[in-house]
Amino acid sequence: MEAFLGGLAILVDPYVMLMVLLGTVLGIFVGALPGISGSTTIALLLPMTIAMGPVPAICFLGAIYCAANFGGSITAIMVNAPGDPSASATALEGYKMAEKGQAGLALGMSAVSSAIGGIVSVIVLIFAAPMLARAAYSFGPPEYFALALFGLSMCAAIGGDSPIKNLIAAALGLLIATVGMDLTTGVERFSFGIYELSDGIGFVPVLIGLFAVGEMLDQAARRVGKAQIIHLDAARVPGWAEFKKCNRSIWIGSGIGTFIGALPALGATTAALIGYNETRRWSKYKHEFGKGSIEGVAGPEAANNAAVGGSMVPTLALGIPGSATTAIILAALIVQGVRPGPHLFNEQPTLLYAVFASMLAANIFYLVMGLYMAKLFARISLIPPAILWPAVFVLSIIGAYGPNQSMGDVVIMLVAGVVGFLFRRTGFSPAPLIMGLVLGGMVEETLKQSLIIFGDDLTGFLGRPIALALFAVTATGLLWPVLSRLLRVARAARA
Amino acid sequence: MRAARNPNHAIAAAVAAVAAAAFAGTFWFDPVPEGLPGLGAVDFPRLVCVLLFLLAGLLALKQGSRPSEEEAPPLDRGAWLIFGACLVFLPAMEVLGIWGAIPIFLVATGLIWGEVPLRTLVLNAIGLTVALWVVFVRIFQLTLPSGWLGAMLGR
Amino acid sequence: MTHAGVGGGTDITARMMMVQAPGVFKQEFLVVNRTAGSGAQALQYLASKPADGHTIILVTQTHLLTQLRNPNLPQFADLIPVARATADPQLVLVRRDSPFRTPQDLVEAGKQRSLRFGGTHVGGVDHVTIFAFGRAAGIQRPTLVPFRGGGEIVINLVGGNIDTAVVNPGEAEAQLRAGELRPLISLADSRLDAFRDVPTAKELGMNVTGYTLRGFCVLKGTPEDRVAKLEQGLIEAMSGPIYKSYLQNTGQAPDSVAGRQAWAAQLAEFHKDGREALQALGLLRG
Repeated sequence: MEAFLGGLAILVDPYVMLMVLLGTVLGIFVGALPGISGSTTIALLLPMTIAMGPVPAICFLGAIYCAANFGGSITAIMVNAPGDPSASATALEGYKMAEKGQAGLALGMSAVSSAIGGIVSVIVLIFAAPMLARAAYSFGPPEYFALALFGLSMCAAIGGDSPIKNLIAAALGLLIATVGMDLTTGVERFSFGIYELSDGIGFVPVLIGLFAVGEMLDQAARRVGKAQIIHLDAARVPGWAEFKKCNRSIWIGSGIGTFIGALPALGATTAALIGYNETRRWSKYKHEFGKGSIEGVAGPEAANNAAVGGSMVPTLALGIPGSATTAIILAALIVQGVRPGPHLFNEQPTLLYAVFASMLAANIFYLVMGLYMAKLFARISLIPPAILWPAVFVLSIIGAYGPNQSMGDVVIMLVAGVVGFLFRRTGFSPAPLIMGLVLGGMVEETLKQSLIIFGDDLTGFLGRPIALALFAVTATGLLWPVLSRLLRVARAARA
Repeated sequence: MRAARNPNHAIAAAVAAVAAAAFAGTFWFDPVPEGLPGLGAVDFPRLVCVLLFLLAGLLALKQGSRPSEEEAPPLDRGAWLIFGACLVFLPAMEVLGIWGAIPIFLVATGLIWGEVPLRTLVLNAIGLTVALWVVFVRIFQLTLPSGWLGAMLGR
Repeated sequence: MTHAGVGGGTDITARMMMVQAPGVFKQEFLVVNRTAGSGAQALQYLASKPADGHTIILVTQTHLLTQLRNPNLPQFADLIPVARATADPQLVLVRRDSPFRTPQDLVEAGKQRSLRFGGTHVGGVDHVTIFAFGRAAGIQRPTLVPFRGGGEIVINLVGGNIDTAVVNPGEAEAQLRAGELRPLISLADSRLDAFRDVPTAKELGMNVTGYTLRGFCVLKGTPEDRVAKLEQGLIEAMSGPIYKSYLQNTGQAPDSVAGRQAWAAQLAEFHKDGREALQALGLLRG
């Protein structure tokens, strides 16, 4: 506790405070740009931060990481172009809300639920990190396989106008995930000798293409003869009533996000998608989903920001980064002299609590900024489309090219854009495809790894209680509609 | 008679074609080296292809509804021109470099889109290009394609 | 130019070196990332540039394996090694309650059955090292359980899903210090300062070493005086405090930075090992 107060005291230093503020503003900004994510920014700015000294540098980078996850939701809601991969679930309902003229409501709720999710996860991180980190060790390939199946099992329910179409989109996602070198055999698949394809199809260009470019093409097709959106309500921010409605979703999202984030192999994007599924499953207003549900914004936003704190658990307590993003954070921390691991909590409490304090502060900063500026951001919908959409396209190109400096990624993005456009015109949704792409690689890889570990014997799964429990949950979830109907019939018969 | 056709048939055919092509593609994979345990490289993709095929069949059996005007408005000449502009952006980037291609694209598509006067479009294009250049080149120090033109100017 | 995406370990190495390089060379430096094809695209890009020493490639062992598997690319013989940036020795690790208490236990068990080793993808750098280790130790060909990266390998090692793994000490530092993992054999040339009581494979009579190597190369045909100047300048840039503290903080050996002789010899050795391993594993076409 003393160390924590010491950590808070660090924040009193105006220089450190300034760095957190700067990091938050920068984080929101880059988060909102499609393709340029918080992790890319941190990698690019890393050499610059060396001169700052450890505490301000850590606070600066931590703030970028936290704020970028929130920033991604701004463009997701306003132009259906998730600025950060983890905001793709937010776009599903958020953009529909903006189309209905409720942009301010969606943006405000995103800020509130993001901040709550973020703060909850940091508090969990402070008190339970070493304990949660132990859980990481009990998750091997068989457990991840079960978890990935659980994630995929919801595909039929989300997105487009029929379950069959959703499943087709998900299967296409699975197929795309197999492109590139196969991890367990070293064989190149569907790469046709093109080097750009041998590392697999990047997630970010597909995402930008499906959402941002697809939307731009669609808008180009409906330039004329479309009634203008009514902007009267656009600037209204959420009040107590909305908050009460979303209360449950926010807690579900925060819990799922923290847990998923704490598992090393899964990140904020998966957390947000599963958060969206579960929010929908437990919602009292299920019919609103797909038509701009405010709960559908609150749940995934809470989840993806909670995953930020969660992902710091294995990173700090085990020195094992779960994803590319946390790998960069870890590198940044290590370069600043933080030695992650179980000892960190005793040996370097000052630096550790500087991380916590800056994350808390960044969450509070962007909450204030997000609520205050929601009205401003909501005015994006007032920009004439002839200026807005070409600009979105240009940003998409830079965003697809930037991280890997690859023309191949730009081409992939354009192809995905055409697919996204066709999807919109034929009643498909990009959401299941994204899920298939994110989880598909994991399903296949973890299954193959499990089989190698079990010596090609499927019964090996029987010896893994966690995996079995997850299989059971998945099966119950799939059969629930049938089961509940049977129960109702039985009850009616008795009455 | 055309309106009575089931639009699902065309979609299902397209999906089935993708599945068939991918399935055929798996036969051109390099052989898996001898003596590796576990599943091979082709099993999972083939499974997914079969799944896609079945789903396409199910979709074809169902009666779909034609998308309404609201969902899929007909494509006019302007829309095709904008699509073309997007496609031309890539070669333009190779020749003019990204900082030449961006302002031209912004003005050209803006004009096709309509409703905004040329002067505003030009000002916006210049402003946005400069802003992007400052952010990505000066601050983030990303190397973006400079094209032949850029190469001639000594970058 | 590097083959890694922005933010990977290799990219960060390049960018860290660059912090002080402009001062030494009195010249601007630019990082160009060409990620695709496990370094294939980076090699192509290098070949497309004149051999004047202005384009330097950050080479890892991955490039050598990619070259071996793609004869159309510039080959190892087309590169001139300039300077080594990092050389991270690897350790053979087991978990705390593993039945293998000594290196001999491991070797004995390995003769009875095929051990499950954690590593990166099939045909990758780890696979070659593990193959070479298995052969030098005279055990049955190890089963590779492939994972996405060092972190996953460490977790599965602690979780008991694999028997052992070959890992850089930096990747498993936290687990080593907590005693959750025990080092059995070091694959360095000589005993490491941090692991004084861990015998090297050479001491145990196994002729094998394992390092994670990163360093700079230029295209063949670059004039000799330019290469010498580059070597001197790069070493000077990497002897600066920023790069030094980067090595130290990431747990990499401070004697990583080396001139072209040591660097070239090491690359040549891995090139040979890699060719043999890929051939034996049936991963080499033609």
